[in-house]
Amino acid sequence: MASEFDLSRNITIGQYVPTGSFIHRLDPRIKLLVFTILVLAIALNTSYLGNALGLLLSIYLFWASKIPISYGLSGIKPAIPFIIILAVLQLIFQGNVFSGGKVFFEYGFILITSESIRLVIVSAVRFVEIILLSSVLTLSTSTTDLTHAIQSLLSPLKKVKFPVHEISLIITIAIRFVPTFAIEMEKMMKAQASRGADFGSGEWWRIIQRTKDMLPIIIPLFNIALSRAEDLILAMESRCYTPGNDRSSYSVYKAIGRDYIVLMIGLLFSALLLFYHFPY
Amino acid sequence: MKGSLSVRNIVIAGVLGAVAILLGVTRLGYIPVPTAAGNATIMHIPAIIGGIMQGPVVGAIVGIIFGVSSFLNATVPLFKDPLVAILPRLFIGVIAWLVYVGIRRKSEYLAIGTAAFLGTLTNTVLVLTMAVVRGYMGAEVAWTVAITSGIPEAIVGTIVTLAVVLAWKQIGKGKKSKISEDL
Repeated sequence: MASEFDLSRNITIGQYVPTGSFIHRLDPRIKLLVFTILVLAIALNTSYLGNALGLLLSIYLFWASKIPISYGLSGIKPAIPFIIILAVLQLIFQGNVFSGGKVFFEYGFILITSESIRLVIVSAVRFVEIILLSSVLTLSTSTTDLTHAIQSLLSPLKKVKFPVHEISLIITIAIRFVPTFAIEMEKMMKAQASRGADFGSGEWWRIIQRTKDMLPIIIPLFNIALSRAEDLILAMESRCYTPGNDRSSYSVYKAIGRDYIVLMIGLLFSALLLFYHFPY
Repeated sequence: MKGSLSVRNIVIAGVLGAVAILLGVTRLGYIPVPTAAGNATIMHIPAIIGGIMQGPVVGAIVGIIFGVSSFLNATVPLFKDPLVAILPRLFIGVIAWLVYVGIRRKSEYLAIGTAAFLGTLTNTVLVLTMAVVRGYMGAEVAWTVAITSGIPEAIVGTIVTLAVVLAWKQIGKGKKSKISEDL
């Protein structure tokens, strides 16, 4: 019963697992760059073999970063129903778009070919790969590192007066507070449930009832969020934080040899996924 | 842009962005309704509140965070198109702010309520317009969705926004940081 309120368990975003592995010690800028390129390459690859390689890579990264793979799997679990629904929809409706290959089944507008089956399997596996890859990135990189990396990769935009530093600070605050608010929300749901409140178990057509069930959670959630914001504003202002100033950083990143090696391997792997014509 | 983002704007945009992400990730932000769209969303409410409280820039930033998180979490192909998922969300907070500033002199309550109502309609109308423009659904389907999920969404949005903003204005009286006015 209580397990349905365990929101924080399903949220892998903003959780850092320090194991001090090789992956953890990489330059975060390089990590973010390689991650972005890899996700792009995986998103564009439609072959079985290519995606199997991608899946192997994402599992290997979990092993190499010494993070239990259960962390990654817990991110996949809530997505399973949607993956299945998407697969069924694609199987039924995409046959005409991705025709070609052997025709297995044809009835009215339903057309199932080897190409549409490939689309279904590949896009499900791809979903898993992208979830695993992004969990490795967020689990092995602290939010501070991640934001510094975003900031340094966006810094060319400073030339056009884009507030790079401020935007990256907003992103950090947003990511940082998601788990905190999840825990707060869990507490509130448990408190409300203990006094007999009921969440979302009403029949789905009773819109007004279901909305009313939400109000005792959502309104306090906003209030907690805003009062936390007040505290944070006061804390930042009393430490004389001034937006828009040029500022230096306590930790300065310097990419060393192994970072460039990882960058090269990442680029080569992505190029392989993008340009090599896989036989299967 | 320099100077337009104060400490207050940065923190409130970040915190409301976190709420928008949380509502999306936990599925609490969706209220299932029996329509083609499937869900009435309340995830746009942080953007409206950001717009009302801190002006158009914060409203737009929270809107982008909401848009990106709905793009990343999307399971319907419709929202895997950045033009549908992200672009329309930019305007929610901006419209809410414009409406709020326009009516504020007459009545605070009326202004917040109308801003929330029209902000929600902005989301519904722009998303559906983009969906029709990009060819994901026909105009009739869009009208049905607009009426069956847009109206309940707008009503829920108004109630939640009023409750949150009014409660916050009470809290803010004693605790609001004085330093940001001096700077």
